[in-house]
Amino acid sequence: MKIEVAAMAGTLESSDVQITIEPAEQGLSLSISSSVLGQYGRQIKRVVLDTLEGLGVRHGRVTVVDKGALDCTIRARVTCAVYRSAGITHSIPWGEVPVNDPSR
Amino acid sequence: MTYSLSRIFPSDRRGQAELDRLLTGEHIRRDPNLDYTVGLYDSNHKLVATGSTFGNSLRCLAVDSRYQGEGLMAQVVSHLVSRQMTQGHSHLFIYTKSDKTAIFGDLGFYEIARVEGEVAFMENRRTGFADFLSGLSAQRRAGQCAALVMNCNPFTLGHRHLVEQAAAQNDWVHLFVVSEDASLFPFADRFALVKAGCAHMPNVILHETGSYMISSAVFPSYFLEDDESAIAVQARLDLQLFGSIARSLGVTRRYVGDEPFSKVTGLYNRIMADELPAAGIDCIVIPRKEQDGLAISASHVRQLIKEGPIEAIRPLVPPTTYDYFFTEAGQAVVDKIRTANNVIHY
Repeated sequence: MKIEVAAMAGTLESSDVQITIEPAEQGLSLSISSSVLGQYGRQIKRVVLDTLEGLGVRHGRVTVVDKGALDCTIRARVTCAVYRSAGITHSIPWGEVPVNDPSR
Repeated sequence: MTYSLSRIFPSDRRGQAELDRLLTGEHIRRDPNLDYTVGLYDSNHKLVATGSTFGNSLRCLAVDSRYQGEGLMAQVVSHLVSRQMTQGHSHLFIYTKSDKTAIFGDLGFYEIARVEGEVAFMENRRTGFADFLSGLSAQRRAGQCAALVMNCNPFTLGHRHLVEQAAAQNDWVHLFVVSEDASLFPFADRFALVKAGCAHMPNVILHETGSYMISSAVFPSYFLEDDESAIAVQARLDLQLFGSIARSLGVTRRYVGDEPFSKVTGLYNRIMADELPAAGIDCIVIPRKEQDGLAISASHVRQLIKEGPIEAIRPLVPPTTYDYFFTEAGQAVVDKIRTANNVIHY
């Protein structure tokens, strides 16, 4: 999927995550800030990148402001932001989005 | 306790009075120019937190001190950030008190400049300002380098005189044109006129100011009227950012035209004379070029356009600027100036 416009999903409230995704020319850039970066930074990065890969997003600037979200929340917020940025607002295949998750 | 968000409209007198009480109670000065204000209310409809936007910045953020520690600021900022996205702003700035940066650091903002004991300025991109500086340092030149920051609304013989002085006295001149589109002449046209009017000076390098100098986020009172103390604080913040920009370009001099007319530019010049030497930059004030005993100013040019025929400005602007008024874009600006109430920079 191609990132057409800047879009956002999620909030800055506790246990949530705010995902911003913007168009970029070449490749993915990821910026993460989190109160639990030391403990879960790598896990957050992996979940975000896996979700993007599952959605076929190869170019974009992604900003993650994490407030201690669970993986499922991160996945949902990233998916939502990507669909918004691609201008898709209905008939979203919730639950069927291919997620590259080796633990399942 | 559940809280609900609600927009506070300028026409809502009761809401505005509550807002003023909250901001005063938290010792936060209210900006006179805001685009959008939201309130967070408790279940008894009492206002407990607020935040506003102006352009691409978040301002006047406050939580009633009796309600702090409940994550209410996160709710307000979340709402404002998503509102800004719908307005097309994804690169955002926060203007806040200098002792409150930790709260916004937790919400994904990074500090880029501060006026100690007064205000701090933050952005939502980890490397936003650093990227801007590294982009500039690619244009760094050896030798004596000077900088000018000008709005050029429009480019006059006064501006050209100032640039010529700087170009004659230095090896290189970095000329920044204010890129905020808050002036009667659109940025693209102002920039093109500066470029055409400086084409005879090969040692002048043109730049855009972006969001980091004389922008509506850093220095809103440059564009819209405010009181002197607000102008002073915003000017000092602007000069903090300029200090970093000057360092990345190896600039050690800043040229300014003396300012006999405009209150805001005059004050900005005075603060520059105080602040720049501390950052290792000489502030060089050049007397205004005069025409028939009157200092040339862009405000005066706009006033002449407003009041009479275009021919009246011919002695005050370079031919490239004069010719612009006979293009379609130039005619549109003339129409805009003639219907504007006030064309003089305050």
